[in-house]
Amino acid sequence: MIEAIKTRELITLQSSGPLLRATCHWPQQSDWGLQEGRKENVIGVLFLNAMSLPRCATGDSAVYWAESFAACGYPAFRIDMAGLGDSDGDIPDDLLGVINSGEYAKPLPSVVKDLVKRFHLSGLVVVGHCAGTVSALFAAAASKDCKGLVLLDPFFHLPKMVRSKTRDDLAEWSSKSSFGGVARKVYNRLKVIRRHFHRNALPANANRSLLKEWGKIASGKMPILLFTAPGMDSPNTKRNEDDFDYIEHILKLAGPRNEVRVQSIAGTDHSFANRMGRAAVREHVERWLGTRFPLTRPESGMAKSKAATDHMITDKNHAQCL
Amino acid sequence: MQEKQLEPEQAGYFSVPGAHLYTVTHVVKNPVARALLIGPFASERQNTYMPWVRWARYLAARRIEVLRYDYRGIGESTGNFEETSYANWSEDVPLLAEWLKNQSPDVPLVLHGLELGALLAGRAFHAGIGDALLLWAPPANANVALRSMLKRRVSLEQLFKSAGERKSPADFMRQLEDDRPVEVDGYQLSGMHWRDSFQFHLPEELNDDKSATSFYKKPVRILRLDKEIDPGVREGDTSDTDFNRIRPDLFKICSNNLRWHHTFKFYVEFKPYFNWLFADNFEWIASALALAPEEQ
Repeated sequence: MIEAIKTRELITLQSSGPLLRATCHWPQQSDWGLQEGRKENVIGVLFLNAMSLPRCATGDSAVYWAESFAACGYPAFRIDMAGLGDSDGDIPDDLLGVINSGEYAKPLPSVVKDLVKRFHLSGLVVVGHCAGTVSALFAAAASKDCKGLVLLDPFFHLPKMVRSKTRDDLAEWSSKSSFGGVARKVYNRLKVIRRHFHRNALPANANRSLLKEWGKIASGKMPILLFTAPGMDSPNTKRNEDDFDYIEHILKLAGPRNEVRVQSIAGTDHSFANRMGRAAVREHVERWLGTRFPLTRPESGMAKSKAATDHMITDKNHAQCL
Repeated sequence: MQEKQLEPEQAGYFSVPGAHLYTVTHVVKNPVARALLIGPFASERQNTYMPWVRWARYLAARRIEVLRYDYRGIGESTGNFEETSYANWSEDVPLLAEWLKNQSPDVPLVLHGLELGALLAGRAFHAGIGDALLLWAPPANANVALRSMLKRRVSLEQLFKSAGERKSPADFMRQLEDDRPVEVDGYQLSGMHWRDSFQFHLPEELNDDKSATSFYKKPVRILRLDKEIDPGVREGDTSDTDFNRIRPDLFKICSNNLRWHHTFKFYVEFKPYFNWLFADNFEWIASALALAPEEQ
C-alpha cells in the first residue's frame, strides 16, 4: 500500500480533537506537496463534508472538482470532519443541530491554519455544500487564513418546529377540499400582507447567529461564490409566494460593495452531482478562482496537466481548464 | 515514497491493472482473524459508509484485522466507472485477498460482502478464496441491485419533480437496454452495466447457508437483511432475543417500511439495530472460526 499516487496524497490532521483524514490533490506531480519554495501566492481549496456524506460527496462530485481545480494549479484538499467518512471520532445524535450552532466547525480554523502552514499556501478557499456551507461560514469568520468561500445551496434557517396534529389535519383538509383550498389561499394572502408590514422581519426559525457571521464576512469583502440549484429539493426554492427570500436578505446584509456572486445552475438538483451540475460548478469556480486568486507561477497556469488528462476518464467533455 | 509509522487505521492505495484502489486497513497487533470487507455499489457506498466503517472498527476492536476498499472508479479509487465491468471489479477481490492473507498466512481470512459486494465475495469464495464467508443482503444477481438503485432514484423524483418530468423505472430500463446511459446519484450506469448485470449472479451453491456450508466445507452465513430486519416478517416471533428487544424501536422509526438500505443510510437513528447486527455477526465469525474466548 502506498500513500500517494501521481497527483493524490492521503494525509492525516491532528488538531485538538480526533484524528482527521483527508485527500490532497496536487497540481502536477506527486511530490508537489513536499516541495518548498514554489508555492508563494498559491491559494488552496478545501472541501468540507456535505452533512454526513463522506468526503467524495454525492457521485464522487467532490473528487471531480478537486481534481479539476488542482489541474488548474490550485491544490485541493477534501477532508472528513470528526466522525464522518474515515476520520476518527463519533458524530453527535443531533448532527444538524450541532452544525447549525457552529459547534461542529470549531476545529476548522486550526485545520485551515495547519494546511496553510504545512503546504506553504497563501490561504484557502473553503467549499461547503448544504450543511457544509454552515460550517464553512462559521470557519471563515474565525480564520484569517480563509480567503474565500464557495457555497453550494446554503441555508440560513433552522429546522421548522414540529407542527401540532391539529395544524397537520388542517393542512391536509385544505389540500383536499375545495373550500379548504380557498381558505388556504386566504391564509397565504394574509401572511403576505403581514410580511409586507414586517418587511425586514426574519422568520422565527432563521439561524440568526449564522446570519450574523455571514454579515461580518460578506461586508468585510471576502470573495464569495454562491450557487443555487433550481429543484424542489433546494433549500432556496420558494415553495410558496410568501416564503422568505434568504438570498435577497443575505445580499442586503453583505452591503453595497460586497464581493458576493450568486449563480443559479440550471438542469441539476441540490447535489449538483449530475453531469450538468458538476460541469457548471467546475466552470464557474475555475473562472472565479482565476479572477479572484490568479496564479503567479507560470508553470502552473491554466495549462492542462497530467492530472487533468487522468481525470478526463470520468468526463470526456472536460477537455481543459477554462 | 517513504513508509510512515503505522496508524491503527492505515489508508493507502493498492495498485491493480489500470487503477489504484483506495484501501483502509484497520491494523491489529497479533490478529486472530482477518476480514476483507467488500462494500455496496456506486451510490450505495456513500449512503452506507458510516455503519460500514463502524463495523470495521467493531471487528478490529475484537482483534480481527480488516481491509476495506473502494471499487475501481468509485469513491476514493481511481478509474473510470462507466467503463469498468463486473469482471474488472471481480478481478480486484483475489488481489486484495491475497495481499491480506499474505500478512500472516496462518491467520484465517473471512470474506464479507454487502449487496453487490456480496456477489463479489460469493464468487471469490466459490473460486476457493477465504476460510469463511459472510453475506449481507445479497441480490440474486447484479441486475436486482441495479433495479433497486433505479427504483430509489424514481422515488426521489416523485418527491421533487412535477408529474410531467417524472420517469418510471421502466423508462430508465428501456434507456439502458437501448445502450443509453442513465445517471443515478452522479454515477453513469451504462448499457454494458445493464446487459452484463443479468449474468453476474451468486453461484447457485450459495442459495442458503446450510447447503453452502456443506458444499464448501467451510462456514457460510447469508443474511437476507430485508427479511431479517423487517419487523413485519418476525412479528409473530416473541422469543427473548436481542433482535426482538430492539424491534419496538425499529417499529417506531419506520413502521413496516424497513429495508436494509434505510437502516444503513440512517446510522445514528438505527444505532440499536447496528449494535445487534454487529454483535450477532461477530459472534457468528468467532464461532465459525472457532476463536477461543480469550482470542475474541
